[in-house]
Amino acid sequence: MTDRFHHPDDREARSAARVRALEALLIEKGVITSKTVDTVLNVFETKMGPFNGARIVARAWVDPAFKQRLIEDAPAAIAELTDLPEGMAGAEGEHMRAVANGEGVHNLVICTLCSCYPWPVLGLPPYWYKDPTFRSRAAREPRAVLKEFGLTVPESTEVKVWDSSAQIRWFVIPERPAGTEGMSEGELAALVTPEAMMGVAVAASA
Amino acid sequence: MLTHFEHFALTSMAGAEDSPPRANGTLCFAEEWERSAFGVALALAREGHFEWEDFRRNLIAAIGDWERTQAPDGPSWNYYEQWLSALEATILQSGLATPDELSARLATATATADTRSA
Repeated sequence: MTDRFHHPDDREARSAARVRALEALLIEKGVITSKTVDTVLNVFETKMGPFNGARIVARAWVDPAFKQRLIEDAPAAIAELTDLPEGMAGAEGEHMRAVANGEGVHNLVICTLCSCYPWPVLGLPPYWYKDPTFRSRAAREPRAVLKEFGLTVPESTEVKVWDSSAQIRWFVIPERPAGTEGMSEGELAALVTPEAMMGVAVAASA
Repeated sequence: MLTHFEHFALTSMAGAEDSPPRANGTLCFAEEWERSAFGVALALAREGHFEWEDFRRNLIAAIGDWERTQAPDGPSWNYYEQWLSALEATILQSGLATPDELSARLATATATADTRSA
């Protein structure tokens, strides 16, 4: 192993040791139990995630009035979907706002400050979202960054970049793909990826 | 030569990273310690040991410090290292542990890690 790669490995081991020490200390002091941590992780890994966002988008596709309400007041519109798990407005799910892609406009969500992300709806953020280079470049040259993601946006289409913060967390309603008439909401939801809801991709074609 | 961002974009999109947990194709954590750090912060906030916004402020500060002292496209960026720093700061601020308790534990833990990696 070269020196170049040794350093990060060492850091990884130290970070892992720091977390273990922290967790052990808190458990010993009775602040948390390992079950508390598992329960929270389980919620984020199974109940909150991009599957929720996908269902919200699918509903917006089949119900234009719902889509309008979603854009005007996202938390209220999301609350209408009573079959979603509870806690959609919990940590990082509050203050959500939706923007819709459409004729001549493409939306891209970033967070230049600290990688704010609506976890309950979109799941845990992907690696690149938290990368400082992505955050600064996406603000400066969104078209070039989108191209690296494999998405070429026509010059005639405006690219709007939305910077999430503790006050507002944005998500994108992608355009409904052509040829999806007659598909069920469940089938439509399967076409919606987290990348599409962040605007670095479009919804999959049918 | 790929930039750091392109590397992450490519590996996360192409799914080439080593077996991290995924949700609907999205890479969540690269290492188990990242998952633990995330879980501990969430669990503490959920149990009311501190306000989530206090943790957020510390996270913003940790990332800001890192960006002021490092090249933003350098290879040393790790989001969950900042997360961990913010978590330690928030635990101290909220009195869940004293600086002495924490530093004693960390000294032992990192010494063990150093021995292992040496």
